[in-house]
Amino acid sequence: MPVTIIEVSDLSKHYKVPVRQAGLKAATRSLFKRTYNTIRAVDGISFTIQPGEVVGFLGPNGAGKTTTLKMLSGLLFPTAGDPKVLGFQPSRRQMDFLSQITLVMGNRSQLSWDLPALDSFELQRAIYAIPRAEFIRTRDEFIELLELTGLVNKPVRNLSLGERMKVEIIGALLHQPKVLFLDEPTIGLDVTMQRRIRTFVEEYNRRTGATVLLTSHYMADVEALCKRVIVIHNGKLLFDGDLAALVDRFSAFKTIGVTLANGFGSFNQYGEVLDQDAGHVTIRIPREKTPDVTARILAEQHVDDMTIEDPPIGDIIEKVFAQKSAET
Amino acid sequence: MDGFMRIVRLAWSYLRIGIANEVQYRVNFFIQILQSFIALATGLIGLWVVFSQTTRLGGWSQPELLAVMGIYMLMGGVIQSAIQPNMQRLMNEIQDGTLDFTLTKPVDGQILVSIREFRFWQLTDVLVGLVVIIIAVFQMQVRLGIGQALVFVTTLLLGGIMIYCFWLILTTTAFWLIRIWELVNLFQGLYAAGRWPVTIYPDWLRIGLTFLVPVAFAVTVPAEVLTNRLTPLTLLGAFGLATLLMVLARFIWRLGVHSYSGASA
Amino acid sequence: MKRYIDFYLTAMKFAVLEQVQYRAQNYFYMVGMIVEPTIYLVVWTTIARQQGGSVGGYTTGGLAAYYIVWTLVRQMNVVLTPYDWENRIQHGRLSMELMRPMHPIHWDVAYFAGWKFVMVFLWIPIAVVLSLIFKPTLNPTGWQVGGFFIAIWGAYLVRTMMYEMLGLITLWTTRVSAIFELFFALELILSGRFVPMTLMPAWVQHIAYYLPFQWTFFFPINSLVGSPAPIDLLTGLGMQLMWILIGVAVVKVVWHFGIHRFSSVGN
Repeated sequence: MPVTIIEVSDLSKHYKVPVRQAGLKAATRSLFKRTYNTIRAVDGISFTIQPGEVVGFLGPNGAGKTTTLKMLSGLLFPTAGDPKVLGFQPSRRQMDFLSQITLVMGNRSQLSWDLPALDSFELQRAIYAIPRAEFIRTRDEFIELLELTGLVNKPVRNLSLGERMKVEIIGALLHQPKVLFLDEPTIGLDVTMQRRIRTFVEEYNRRTGATVLLTSHYMADVEALCKRVIVIHNGKLLFDGDLAALVDRFSAFKTIGVTLANGFGSFNQYGEVLDQDAGHVTIRIPREKTPDVTARILAEQHVDDMTIEDPPIGDIIEKVFAQKSAET
Repeated sequence: MDGFMRIVRLAWSYLRIGIANEVQYRVNFFIQILQSFIALATGLIGLWVVFSQTTRLGGWSQPELLAVMGIYMLMGGVIQSAIQPNMQRLMNEIQDGTLDFTLTKPVDGQILVSIREFRFWQLTDVLVGLVVIIIAVFQMQVRLGIGQALVFVTTLLLGGIMIYCFWLILTTTAFWLIRIWELVNLFQGLYAAGRWPVTIYPDWLRIGLTFLVPVAFAVTVPAEVLTNRLTPLTLLGAFGLATLLMVLARFIWRLGVHSYSGASA
Repeated sequence: MKRYIDFYLTAMKFAVLEQVQYRAQNYFYMVGMIVEPTIYLVVWTTIARQQGGSVGGYTTGGLAAYYIVWTLVRQMNVVLTPYDWENRIQHGRLSMELMRPMHPIHWDVAYFAGWKFVMVFLWIPIAVVLSLIFKPTLNPTGWQVGGFFIAIWGAYLVRTMMYEMLGLITLWTTRVSAIFELFFALELILSGRFVPMTLMPAWVQHIAYYLPFQWTFFFPINSLVGSPAPIDLLTGLGMQLMWILIGVAVVKVVWHFGIHRFSSVGN
């Protein structure tokens, strides 16, 4: 049993894309001489993941998150680097490897549309050769956990979007994989559903000690599930560590919310005003100025209540990308 | 007359767009012509096998059957380039619910959905069909007068109209049945019957082909013109059926639009 | 091994469950399908009548038998159309199938095999109607019936391999229609789909013997409708087996390179 369950070193995926230009002349020229651009979807990233970790991949669209996941699950061959998952080389796609992983992509469906989920689960059982007793136990456990009793008998097309996502997840986990690759699993779902899925993944991780790699747009997913985040931008790894450390390192600001007893003067003198309405002001100040500014506000204004917070993580990430884009 | 000219200009615009879209992919031309030749070869081999066993089929000689095949390919090309793409798009829009965008335009809905698409390269079938017809006529050693040629073109036009109406009626049922892709398959299968002169089919099948699916009128009747078999009654029947189908298609179209608009409130 | 038997049975049952849901569509599909042999039957019956009742050794009753059995054999040899590969790739279904610890071809074979049970069931009334209209003459021996049952499954597997290989071409290029149409045309002429092979010139029959096509149509039909000796049946089944094995080997190789390309380029 390897100590690290996922080992990635200098992983890259480059695409050669032919350059196309408009116009008849350019088109004729391209018949004889093709010029290519190299797109570096993933460019030399490295990380290791221990068994049982729940790691979040953050990054804007096209950052390389899904590409990385596809390389780790064996769907895509890397241009460089030799990733190892569960001790296997994913691109060899050995049966033992595939039986221990699962890839869930938010907007793709594995189950039959017109049949009840139970029938699709039975098919999964046969595909993964799950011993029947174990299969029934696992399946019923999951159905109960996700409150789907009675719904698994209805054709999948008759279920709501959230219910469909739930049965998809069950279908993906029936064979009790040790490694979960979840690509935008909560996309398009409402808040309650998102929370439900998150809790389930957390529960699964707790019970089985499975390793989870999760990509998401929704900070709430990452905040709720992942202690560790890996930030990817333009194919490069920007940050790898605790979520809290991310906040610390990249948030140079604090947000102060002030509830006033009566009236207000101009708060521009204290810092950048983000929001202002009757009785409440929100300003943003550089972190180091916090003690000074708070003292001044308390002295000079009639304050009913004051909160001091880190800016929302989403903002922090955005700033990180903006910063890095400006740098490159 | 003014409204009519507007429609003609609109159709011409769509045609230009359709051609411009396709012409830039010259490779598609070669692929299409290759496919036309494969279809032609298959048809010729079929005829060859038949005529290795007999000299006439249901009274039709070899060059006469060649003419039938030529008309079949020509009409097939017209269907593939102008009729089917429009009907397919209409079907998709009904299923996706995006037909609304089309219906709210200031042009008659039926006309708009019928002229939007044009697959230029499918015309290779028309070209190949025409060449086959010319060769067949030459082999038949008949003299074709101007009058006969005019009647021939007329029957082709009538046939085309009938097939268009029939396709439209078929596609319009998607307003109610939604998933009708199989009906389309059925039609395509039935059109294959047009490869042979419908006179060889037993009566019950012929009635079905002539009235349910105007294949006979589209292919056999023009062939009858070329082979001097056309009776005035048949010609009259062609006019009659074309008119009937146009009226029916219009009626069913309006019915369909009415029910569609009512439903998507 | 047991695992695969379990998978095939489960997948076939799954296919039956799904296709029963699409009863209406399947029915229309089938009715559309019988138009083709009906056209051929009418053409050849017309010729037969003109020549005094038979053509090339086939009476009108024999022709009717040929083309009605044709419809059953056709149901049995329906496989995944190579045009569907483009869909499969674009909609991510191929990626999903690649994540399974099982070669995707098993899914194709198992699913279509299950589907056939539904199709044949729906076919029975159609066959009855056709028989009433066209009055086939059919007198097979016990050997022939037995051989037929094996031959139709053999035909299915031969055709599966042929069309899987064809579909795999989509992994390299999407400009496949000319290649596919050429293949379909060859099949139409050389398989006994258009006309019984015995009505073709001798040299065509000779070539066709060494190609896989006629083992998917003519051979199974003829085992029931013609008068092959048991040794002919066995030889025919042997030829089917040979083509299946060749097909499996070729598909394995092409698949390996195709997936390699697919996984390098991505989707």
